[in-house]
Amino acid sequence: MRSPSSVTATPAEAPVDPNALRDEVRRKYREVAREPGAKHHFHTGRPLARLLGYPNEWVDELPETAVESFAGVANPFALRPLESGENVVDVGSGAGFDSFIAAGQVGSRGSVTGIDMTNEMLDKSRHNAEQIGLSKVSFRQGLAEALPVADASADVVISNGVFNLCPDKRAAFAQVMRVLAPGGYLQFADIANGRPVPPEALRQIDLWTG
Amino acid sequence: MLEEAGFIEVSTGPPVDTFGGAPGEEKARTYDVHGYGFIARKPAGSTGAR
Repeated sequence: MRSPSSVTATPAEAPVDPNALRDEVRRKYREVAREPGAKHHFHTGRPLARLLGYPNEWVDELPETAVESFAGVANPFALRPLESGENVVDVGSGAGFDSFIAAGQVGSRGSVTGIDMTNEMLDKSRHNAEQIGLSKVSFRQGLAEALPVADASADVVISNGVFNLCPDKRAAFAQVMRVLAPGGYLQFADIANGRPVPPEALRQIDLWTG
Repeated sequence: MLEEAGFIEVSTGPPVDTFGGAPGEEKARTYDVHGYGFIARKPAGSTGAR
């Protein structure tokens, strides 16, 4: 297997305006929340979950509104299933797809806190949590670079396709380190490139999000 | 980058053809972009971020 050239397909510090990048990411994921079936540059929903190897029985337990806006890039549970009782933080939780799967794995003794910066995704994830009847799952607005989570409070941090979109990846990973308890796990899915992306291409915001 | 942040036991899973068949496939192929699972741990004796 060829190793990826970097953890994510975009550099540690963005050569684009961070606020402009966040605005563009919000715009894109607002569309995915509102119109999950529209034509996006990436796969979404149930076909994507199948492509990424999520077992059907996990997906079938979730309401369609939680599945349809799923836009991950791999399976963060593939390298380690979560354990009963773990407290989990989901960075960039979207409509809640991975948060709800995590909730099923950690059970009633555990908890899941999803963090997302897009209002439409937060509204959708909260509605989905109510629909499923999960009391140990909550969603908060925030950035990966400034997680609204207490120090050393998480046993596991999960994420799916989010760090590559962060303007400051070093700050995001420092935040993950802060919120994890000693010995805690970061298990995430993201994209990585096997060939270098030229500097001029990295300055195009639309390449980051599409 | 993960080790720079202080993580240990960093491991990467096999590539997934995340964009295969999607409208973004051509761009993904240009830079050989795939999805991966990653796992890492915060050291047991660590108290916070570097």
